[in-house]
Amino acid sequence: MNLAHLHLLLNHLPTVGLGIGVGLLLASLLKKSEDLKQASFVAFFLLGLLAIPAYLTGSAAQTVLQDQPDVPQQVIAAHQDAALLALILMEITGLVAWIALWRFRRWHQTGILVLAIVTFGLMARAANIGGHIRHPEILVEGTAAPVPGWPRTAAAGAALVLDNPWVWPICEVFHFVGLCLLFGVVLLVNLRLLGFVKGVAFADVNRLLPWAMVGLGINVVTGMLFFLAAPGQYTQNTAFVWKIGLMLIAGVTLLYPTMSDQAGELTPEDRAPLTGRIIAAGSICLWIGVIFLGRFLPYLGSE
Amino acid sequence: MGSLLGQIEQSGAATWIREGGVLYGYPLILFLHTFGLSTLVGLSSAINLRLLGFAAGIPLASLARIFSLMWAGFGLTAATGILLFVSDATRHASNPAFLVKLVFVLLAVTALALTWTRVFRGQHSGKILAALSLACWFGALSAGRLMAYVAEFVA
Repeated sequence: MNLAHLHLLLNHLPTVGLGIGVGLLLASLLKKSEDLKQASFVAFFLLGLLAIPAYLTGSAAQTVLQDQPDVPQQVIAAHQDAALLALILMEITGLVAWIALWRFRRWHQTGILVLAIVTFGLMARAANIGGHIRHPEILVEGTAAPVPGWPRTAAAGAALVLDNPWVWPICEVFHFVGLCLLFGVVLLVNLRLLGFVKGVAFADVNRLLPWAMVGLGINVVTGMLFFLAAPGQYTQNTAFVWKIGLMLIAGVTLLYPTMSDQAGELTPEDRAPLTGRIIAAGSICLWIGVIFLGRFLPYLGSE
Repeated sequence: MGSLLGQIEQSGAATWIREGGVLYGYPLILFLHTFGLSTLVGLSSAINLRLLGFAAGIPLASLARIFSLMWAGFGLTAATGILLFVSDATRHASNPAFLVKLVFVLLAVTALALTWTRVFRGQHSGKILAALSLACWFGALSAGRLMAYVAEFVA
């Protein structure tokens, strides 16, 4: 299996998942069910993570298809722009859903519902354009195949980095700043779960967690800018593929300190139960793995 | 001075770091440098945020054990930093970004020591120290990250 194949497996998940998530959220409002509502927020957060490899593998698929004369490159470009726009909205939706999981306020559910519906529309549009790349038979007679139009997100992102020589170094600085914020806060929170840090209720340490999300957000944005500017440098690199894989699992482990009742109820002198400690230790190791693979990117896995 | 730096560069250790191969030598030391640094700066930033008033429910006493980790992170960063310096001594010593970075690191580590004595073992609120510390870490990270670009520019 190559990354182009992986794209075919992943690319349906955001659209289908958003449909299910919106359904869950609407059902939770009708049934007044807090559990259903939480489940929909978790779904949006996870989709925010999954949409990242869905986009990245799309670039790999593009590389595979770029030399094939029967594949319309214009349609690929239109699909990529639509996909990046949908990805941006998906990340915002995922972030707001995370905030709601961390600390629910009433406006969150309205905000998330609106964001998710908009994202669903954009995601379906991207998917629809993507369908035309390999399936000319779905084109309604008398209409033209999709062409790139406003906003040219992918092209604009690449141009921003390539046309301004200072953008890449600035992004490198902020990628490191984001890394420190994310790793430092995640380390502290997990050390509390492990019992290395004691004398403080977990709920109080948990208040720092949004700073980890700020770090993660900075790194997703700066990382995407690197990727948009030099996609081939990353999709052809094994260390990068593993880094993204580890990052996604590490991202999922953030759910434990965010929303676990087990963790939320820890009194100052308790440590987390065994499952919690395993997740905490795993989370630390995963993030160290992400840093390791990121640092080794230029040395491992590139041809 | 120049000949001393040249001699350091030519030493066995420096050659090993430069030419050791992929899994050990330069990349591994670079990773350990990054790892130590992100532990030190990350934890220090978290404590600084607490001192600035975020997550104010965390008692300072509960964070005391974190200092041992931060000093361990500093030790790892400093040790690997010396190795990285040795591997390319002449170029680093003449790189203004490297010197700026050293100054910021020195200030940030001083702030860390003062945070321990004045805030954790003293009466100060530490707000100003925390803000200065965050600024110095940002300066150190920026200068460190930009070293490669400045080196190109200077050369």
